[in-house]
Amino acid sequence: MQTIPILLVLLLVGAGCGSSDAAPAPEDWVWNLPDTVPLPRIPEDNPMSIAKVELGRFLFYDTQLSGNQTQSCGSCHQQALAFTDALAQAEGSTGQIHPRSSMSIANVAYAASLTWANEVLVRLEKQALVPMFGEDPVELGMAGMEDELLRRMRDDPRYPAMFADAFPEELDPVTRDNITKAIAAFQRSVVSFSSKVDRWQAGDRTALNESEQRGMALFFGGANAAGVEDAFECFHCHGGFLFSQSSDDAGQVFDQKFFMNNGLYNLDQDGSYPAGNEGLYDMTGLPEDKGRFKPPSLRNIALTAPYMHDGSIETLEEVLDHYSRGGRLIESGPNAGDGMLNPNKSSLLNGFVMTEQERADLIAFLHALTDEELLTNPAYSDPFAQD
Amino acid sequence: MKKLVTFVAVLSLAGFGCSDSSGDGGSAGTGGAGGEGGAGSQDVEITVAAMVGEAEFVCGDTYDNLGADDSTLTISDFRFFVQSVELKNDAGDYVPVTLTENDWQAEGAALLDFEDGCNDLGTEPTNATVIGTIPAGTYDGIRFEMGVPFEANHDNPSTAPSPLNLTSMHWNWQGGYKFLRIDSGNFSMTDWRMHLGSTGCDGDPVSGGTTACSAPNRVAVEFPSFDAGTDVIKADLAALVDGAALDVNQPETPVGCMAGPTDSDCAPLFNNLGLPFGGDDPSSPQTFFSVD
Repeated sequence: MQTIPILLVLLLVGAGCGSSDAAPAPEDWVWNLPDTVPLPRIPEDNPMSIAKVELGRFLFYDTQLSGNQTQSCGSCHQQALAFTDALAQAEGSTGQIHPRSSMSIANVAYAASLTWANEVLVRLEKQALVPMFGEDPVELGMAGMEDELLRRMRDDPRYPAMFADAFPEELDPVTRDNITKAIAAFQRSVVSFSSKVDRWQAGDRTALNESEQRGMALFFGGANAAGVEDAFECFHCHGGFLFSQSSDDAGQVFDQKFFMNNGLYNLDQDGSYPAGNEGLYDMTGLPEDKGRFKPPSLRNIALTAPYMHDGSIETLEEVLDHYSRGGRLIESGPNAGDGMLNPNKSSLLNGFVMTEQERADLIAFLHALTDEELLTNPAYSDPFAQD
Repeated sequence: MKKLVTFVAVLSLAGFGCSDSSGDGGSAGTGGAGGEGGAGSQDVEITVAAMVGEAEFVCGDTYDNLGADDSTLTISDFRFFVQSVELKNDAGDYVPVTLTENDWQAEGAALLDFEDGCNDLGTEPTNATVIGTIPAGTYDGIRFEMGVPFEANHDNPSTAPSPLNLTSMHWNWQGGYKFLRIDSGNFSMTDWRMHLGSTGCDGDPVSGGTTACSAPNRVAVEFPSFDAGTDVIKADLAALVDGAALDVNQPETPVGCMAGPTDSDCAPLFNNLGLPFGGDDPSSPQTFFSVD
């Protein structure tokens, strides 16, 4: 049903462009989503199609998209690790270390904003330009090489036909814009809603064991052993179908992006974080934005260690201990300070008492958010992999 | 005669359908189609020079005595955009110049490019002129902004016309363009650089657009006495870095200034551009540009 209006628009656009001899892109994309999940928002100028997603998959994994042809998007976003890289901080194609940790691209179609702390990046098509052409830090290192990039695409034995299939209404489809559109379409196709928790929510009462069920109850506001309701406050930032409140979808009419300080650092009386990596503050310069980052989705979180924007917490157990204390104490060194006392810290993070059993139950629940299908789905896999 | 000129100016603005409102970061612009000239309009050509003190900038040359510490830098990039170019008529009113669309000028922005490809990220062609049309008349002053008009700044850079499609002038993580790019060395992170653009921009995930920028960082430039026929606008790196300690860098920030509101290395540079920084107003209008 939902594809019909898009198809009509496509036909109209095709006719209006005076290229009616070229067929419009087939509106053949089918979302495979559970009933509990809304359709993602798809930009009007970049409808999904099987051919476009397939082109995007090749581009995502192609090292020709880096200046020195050593890295692809998939270098830092590896399927087996839920599209992360196990590094605290990502390493670019020229060896430069990124201040931030690679984020999962699973369900990125639903992200209200992209990257860890950026209010202006709200479309994957634009975000893709950052790793490709960004200079600070260098990621794929393509700045100034836009002509070379298109030359590589046109000279490739595979791509000209794939671009033509993906953008059939265009006479010269090998363009920078279409590269970002195809990569964005592929990324939107990477959905992950097949965890044990999803099976439980779909009605399968065998999907979660007792520990996972207890953890889920605690996560969603149940009383802890001390009798405190909603002691852990997890879902206030990590709620909703995405397990992040910073979500967007096709039916959403409000801007839901948001950013929180979770008390990781407190270098001075202003609540400073290590310089150059202070979250929204790096963009706005507003003192109250120091340390404010997007709460990431917790789906597949067991696979995406180390944690936080800078990978500074190694395990989920330590993450829980951090929240239990209500902020991190760093006793010495350049980052010394008590994050618990950070003036910008969210008022939800007051700390809590957690028994060993509760800790184990919450960990079990977080592990139950892993979607094994995501890790092996051939539709998301590296087409250049040799095995 | 004065009335006639005013009338033509209004007509030409209406004809081009240009928005001239200054909103939340959107700037007055004279973009759009233009350059066909015709009766009642005259051509405008403004010459711009890149300087390092008294010396004309040469891509890859080394310059001494820069900034507070008399630093030595080998400069490998020197490019900037200008917008909202206006000339002052004999009534004292500023009249927009309609920029001619060409490889260097689009969407109301003109790229002045003084590097010749001596660095990895550069391009061989250079451009030192702003070309456009203006209602016929006599003009004796100029004002413009260093920047890209808000709408073009936040449009899709992949489909934008030249020069807005140059990836080395993209500033994607801030959602716009580098209004000014001056680099030393050759693309090493240890080399001093100055990149300026709008910061603190906000996007709307529902519409996909950019709504506003808290720090537009467009540099306002005005020379009440300027003759386009004989005068040259000079952009001087030595003036830009006057008082800035280029050999020291705030730890954990980019070397030089990437316009980050938290990078204290930017403070003297912003002051010299007449831009507020860190809540402090500039001590004077910009001193980067001068007329000779």
